[in-house]
Amino acid sequence: MRAVRFGILSVTLSLAALAIVRAQASDNAAIQEKAAVCSGCHGENGISQTENIPSLAGQPDQFIQWQLVFFRAGSRKNDQMQPIVEEITNEDIRNFGAYFAQMTPPKAAEDGDPDLSKKGAQVAVGRRCASCHTDSFAGTKAVARLAGQREEYLVKALHDYKAGQRVGGGVAAMADVAYHMSDEEITAVSHYLAYFK
Amino acid sequence: MKFHQTVFQSVLALAAVALLAGTSAVSAQQQDKNRQLKKYESGTKEFWTHPPDDWFLGDETEAQKGLAPPSGPPTGASEAELAAMMKKIKLPAGFKIEVYAPGVLAARQMAWGDKGTLFVGSFGLGNVYAIKDNNGKKEVKTILKGLNMPTGLAFKDGALYVIAVDKLIRYDNAEANLDKLGDGKVVYDDMPSYAAHGWKYIAVDKEGWFYLPFGPPFNVGVPPTSVSQIRRVDPKTGNAEIYALGVRNSVGGDVDPRTGKYWFTENARDWISDDLPSDKLNMISKIGEHFGYPYCHQGDLLDTKFAMGHKCSEFTPPVLNLGAHVAPLGMKFYTGDQFPAEYKNNILIAEHGSWNRHKYQGGNITRVIVGPDGKNAKKEVFASGWIEGDQGYLGRPNDIILAKDGSILVADDWAGAIYRISYSKK
Repeated sequence: MRAVRFGILSVTLSLAALAIVRAQASDNAAIQEKAAVCSGCHGENGISQTENIPSLAGQPDQFIQWQLVFFRAGSRKNDQMQPIVEEITNEDIRNFGAYFAQMTPPKAAEDGDPDLSKKGAQVAVGRRCASCHTDSFAGTKAVARLAGQREEYLVKALHDYKAGQRVGGGVAAMADVAYHMSDEEITAVSHYLAYFK
Repeated sequence: MKFHQTVFQSVLALAAVALLAGTSAVSAQQQDKNRQLKKYESGTKEFWTHPPDDWFLGDETEAQKGLAPPSGPPTGASEAELAAMMKKIKLPAGFKIEVYAPGVLAARQMAWGDKGTLFVGSFGLGNVYAIKDNNGKKEVKTILKGLNMPTGLAFKDGALYVIAVDKLIRYDNAEANLDKLGDGKVVYDDMPSYAAHGWKYIAVDKEGWFYLPFGPPFNVGVPPTSVSQIRRVDPKTGNAEIYALGVRNSVGGDVDPRTGKYWFTENARDWISDDLPSDKLNMISKIGEHFGYPYCHQGDLLDTKFAMGHKCSEFTPPVLNLGAHVAPLGMKFYTGDQFPAEYKNNILIAEHGSWNRHKYQGGNITRVIVGPDGKNAKKEVFASGWIEGDQGYLGRPNDIILAKDGSILVADDWAGAIYRISYSKK
């Protein structure tokens, strides 16, 4: 949201735009320092090399913000994340959103099991994943990017939703979609999305 | 990889209510135009306990297609944004609005502790906040986390009561224990767990009983037996009575200081049109009254599908129709002395504003002038300016509470803030 608003400003007021660019740059330096703690698990450049830890690079700004808000509020539970985000400020959350959103998203590797992907594609159509996550599965606003996410993390996330361990806060979209999914469906659709190009 | 586009443009869309969503992106809206209309068989237990994420789209019409609850900013409005917003709010002469406390994310119902702590509930975040005044500086503390939509709360005999969908929880001696409230004690739980319209509000009457609203777990239909009603619950014993029937989604009400009667706001069904039906202000004259849902809306409009042989004349009409899709939520009788004398015992209603309308309306504070008999009610806009353009929000008022000095506080769950509105004649 910030970025959009800044964009509009910079078109209309070049002076103000200059000042804002500078402010953003310094914001960025501060947030890079704070984000050092993230890269330990989520990887350099926001691309995770660790099992069951998601990549954050290229996730939509609002999605990152919501998850941090949910972790801080305790409505999304995770033993690693909880203590880290406990004292995080709203300002930090806005900055983290912008920071990870502008990173280059992970590129999917070569698909080793196209048959499983074919099954997964059918699941994605049947469960209408694209209607929220968009046709490119890049996500938008509060909805996560799925394309190129770690396969076993997608499996974990869907199981968490299915079991009601992850709700997302309020009336939950994913909990109710995943509730109806079989383990086979979860395996297939996770593979499909992890290798989606 | 676009093989599925033709058949499955059906945008399941626009995820859960306000806080979650955020899928009202341009691309989603464009996809939206090509898909089929949403239709749900909502009269089943499976639907009530596991509603689809877009349950509120179930009765959409071609004309209203694509409308969905908008999503606010995850961290509310920044202090700079709030300062800019305050300059845009319009009030009658002599009134002033200011930010009372920022950073109260998803703020819903408010209640005062005896020692001056302001307690605030929240929506999907699951937080309850305590706001303390430290020599004019407001300290916002999150005192409870992880509750199920704790939108409603009350304070009585030193205890904080929180209603979280199907549990009424009491936290004793709350103001002395803000840092360690514990798990509390569930004092009433004879309530369904349905998420849709399951969030609630608490109004305390003179005998210390609580009025609690129970909305139906869908837009419109024959309600499950335990909902579409207002109950009166004794938090001491857990005794309860059904006080009113035929009520859709009510999330606000107050006891008339003149008569002791319960007045409440009610959100009407969606998906008829931009201008029908009207949301309502109601008064319960006697226990057991029926207010018309799902048979009759706004006192004079039979439901085309669910009237089922009824006539509107069978039901208690509203005190006042407030307008279509204005979303009246928290309300209070003005019993203070600070505002001009003609405001005494007027009703101030926080309107959350539309989502199921092409041009949003409501999103303001409405003043209702009405006697204790409920006759000849008149309304006017008291505070406005939170809506920008056709479908933009700066903020969304949803509750009002009087402060000791006669000013009012307003909770805003979009901007995540509490405002103070005061009056001084000059």
